[in-house]
Amino acid sequence: MGASLLHYRPWRGRFRDPAWSVWPIARVGLGVVLRRKLFWGLYALALLFFLMFFFGQYLLAYADTMELPPLILRQARGGLQLDGSGVMYRNFFRLQGSMVVVVLALAGSMLMGNDFQFGSLPFYLAKPLTPRHYLVGKFLAVAVFVNLLTTVPALALFAQYGLLTSSDYFFEHADLAAGIVAYGLVLTACLSLLLLAMAGWLRRTIPLIMAWTTLFFFLRQLAFALVYILGYDARWRLIDLWNDTYLVGNACLGIEHGTVRPLPQPETYEAALVLGAVCLACLTYLNLRIRAVEIVR
Amino acid sequence: MPDVLEPADPRGRDRALTADDAAGQRHGGAATPAEGSVPLAAPPRPDAAVSQQTPLLLFQHVSKWYGPVIGLNEVTLELRDGITGLVGANGAGKSTLMRLATGQLRPDLGSVRVRGHDAWSAQAKQLVGYCPDGDAFYEEMSGRQFIETMGRLCGYSRACARRRAAELLELVGMAGRAERRLRGYSKGMRQRVKLAAALVHDPPLLILDEPLSGIDPIGRQEFLTLFRGLAARGKCLLVSSHELDELEKLTEHVAIMARGRIAAVGTLAQIRDLLDDHPLSVLVAADDPRELATALLALDDVVGVDLGDQESLVVRARNPRRFFRDFGRLVLEEDWEIRRLEPLDESAHAILGYLLGGRR
Repeated sequence: MGASLLHYRPWRGRFRDPAWSVWPIARVGLGVVLRRKLFWGLYALALLFFLMFFFGQYLLAYADTMELPPLILRQARGGLQLDGSGVMYRNFFRLQGSMVVVVLALAGSMLMGNDFQFGSLPFYLAKPLTPRHYLVGKFLAVAVFVNLLTTVPALALFAQYGLLTSSDYFFEHADLAAGIVAYGLVLTACLSLLLLAMAGWLRRTIPLIMAWTTLFFFLRQLAFALVYILGYDARWRLIDLWNDTYLVGNACLGIEHGTVRPLPQPETYEAALVLGAVCLACLTYLNLRIRAVEIVR
Repeated sequence: MPDVLEPADPRGRDRALTADDAAGQRHGGAATPAEGSVPLAAPPRPDAAVSQQTPLLLFQHVSKWYGPVIGLNEVTLELRDGITGLVGANGAGKSTLMRLATGQLRPDLGSVRVRGHDAWSAQAKQLVGYCPDGDAFYEEMSGRQFIETMGRLCGYSRACARRRAAELLELVGMAGRAERRLRGYSKGMRQRVKLAAALVHDPPLLILDEPLSGIDPIGRQEFLTLFRGLAARGKCLLVSSHELDELEKLTEHVAIMARGRIAAVGTLAQIRDLLDDHPLSVLVAADDPRELATALLALDDVVGVDLGDQESLVVRARNPRRFFRDFGRLVLEEDWEIRRLEPLDESAHAILGYLLGGRR
């Protein structure tokens, strides 16, 4: 059938606010990643940690009914601190973090890098929305991944512990639930902005993975060596962004700074400042970067 | 209408043919005179009507740099309705102009407005439909999903986006192939999908970057008819193309770009008429070209004659109307037999060549 104006009707209705375009942008990004089998494989691996905590709590609750010797129960709980405290959730976030980093490294180029590399950005920016809406949409897509791997499973563990022990747990430890959400928000904000900025800069998967690895593994090792081997000031640990989120997350979960290991560690407010500066730098870069054209490369 | 001409500059500066604001609005394409120009008032077209509305697209002294490279240089252009072709060599600034008009870039100097709104704003983009040159899609999506997504980005609800996508796929002739993934589409099918995406929110201004690229000849005719139909419905189209023959079929009104500037705006014939420093070349086939050449050189408007083969010559002359009148009189007086008379540069190709060539 050929092209014809026979069925063309002008639009007489009203359009919604550009803010409504955020979810379609996020949905397209999510669809691109979720169609990949590799992502589901990595997500399954990431869920193993969750399942370890989940079944660990369940087994311990079952073991309580078996009237096992307290020493055995203490040993069983001690490993992962499966006691419903903030430390348990902190440990979960820390273990899950490695998988989050891997998943995001692979997803980043698909979510945003391809828009720059293959030139699909004009389709977005020529529509009645601003670059801000585009960024928020992509941010939302990354946030979904981060929270699917961290916050949502942590809240599931919180709910499970309360159901297995006592409903009073929910009321007495409501601040823990808020802390889990806050820790998730910190991870979401920092990782999402970092990922979008790096994906906008590097675009391709392999360079993005290399840069991401440098940021989260190499700098971590470097900070460790500087502080614990060479004896430099504890503030050198601030170059380890994952440790910075860890310190801020500890504060969200109400864990005292002095109980964080290994020591010495920088202050929580210093870590928060570094994370804030990184987020600001990423936002600034993204604001400049969202242009559709690079005629002069 | 093109009726402003800068005086010839012996130092060889670029000359800009620009159009008068007050005339020829009906077919779009009017630009304010460049500074320092000497206005030459060409007679307005009989069907020209001055629109009292705000221009649909207005470039005012727009310049855009990419580092040290200038993409657009003091461009002033105004569109109101109808179809305007945008032609120019590679690197002339066509894509930059289109991206500025669609709000993907911000000008470094000057302003770009769509019906009074800054082109960067969401209100302006609501009025513009853009069909880009590239076709980088999300290949896993079907054509229908892509159009629906574009509709959602424009502000439609899910149900409206679905209905609108169905209508537009019917319009571009893709209704029967809408469920296939974009990965499996040919170039022509992708162009149709892009056009549908540009029309999804019924914009009054359509900016089409090479819309006929990759379309088969039958499809091209369909598209040309479609574009004319859209213009007849009151839409303003700005169409860039390297297929100058196709552009001539679509519209008489063109804007020619060269090295980041609007070199000329108007109908091809009017642009041609104003190029009085660039002689018209005419191929003449006659029995005795040498004798003919001698007689032609006596005419005032003839700048030169090049003898080709034994049966033809190429005469270069200013002022085509007067030259052909004198040529006809000469042929009748001398009783020459002319087997062929062909202007070599009536087409946009030649105009482009004159405007763009020879200036290094």
